[in-house]
Amino acid sequence: MASAANANLNAVRETMDVLLEISRLLNTGLDMESLSICVRLCEQGINPEALSAVIKELRKASESLKASENSTN
Amino acid sequence: SSSITELLGALCDCSLSGVSWKRRALGGVSREGFRRALKKRAYGALLSKLFQDGTKGSASGPSATANTPPRNKVLMICFDLRVAGCREEAERLEEQLERLSEGASSGLKEVDAVLELLVQLAGSAPPPPTSF
Repeated sequence: MASAANANLNAVRETMDVLLEISRLLNTGLDMESLSICVRLCEQGINPEALSAVIKELRKASESLKASENSTN
Repeated sequence: SSSITELLGALCDCSLSGVSWKRRALGGVSREGFRRALKKRAYGALLSKLFQDGTKGSASGPSATANTPPRNKVLMICFDLRVAGCREEAERLEEQLERLSEGASSGLKEVDAVLELLVQLAGSAPPPPTSF
């Protein structure tokens, strides 16, 4: 039982490493932390196109915040 | 095991990393207030896309690649990379795609959905700064 769980954990780790490398090669801008959150959201049934729209929206918002920070310096 | 709301909150937190809140607090923008605004925008984007999906296909029709499996979309990107002269990147991408297990052997239920997300986000990050 425990060895099956370990095997599954190893499979998940390996898959995550491959997905992170694909993400880097595609220049998606996702780091390991945000990628693992996205993986969990996909596992919960969130539509990947809708999720990409969310990520782009969050980037826009945080970039405008950082830009306003730079302009006040 | 986290809920969708918790995961979306965590995604908002990720996008707030690197923002200096000490100075922001003096200007009246609190981290909590901005986090709330971010979550509102995240849910807005999520829901608008879901409603769009519900009405898709009536006016403009589905796009040519709408039903293409995400693995094939990645292979199409590999082809584009080769045409653009980025042979090494294309080969590396193909290698990684071959390493990616399908179904239960990957340990994940939705590998193809994640791959579709990566395709949707391809090229969306700013290029890394060039060092001199």
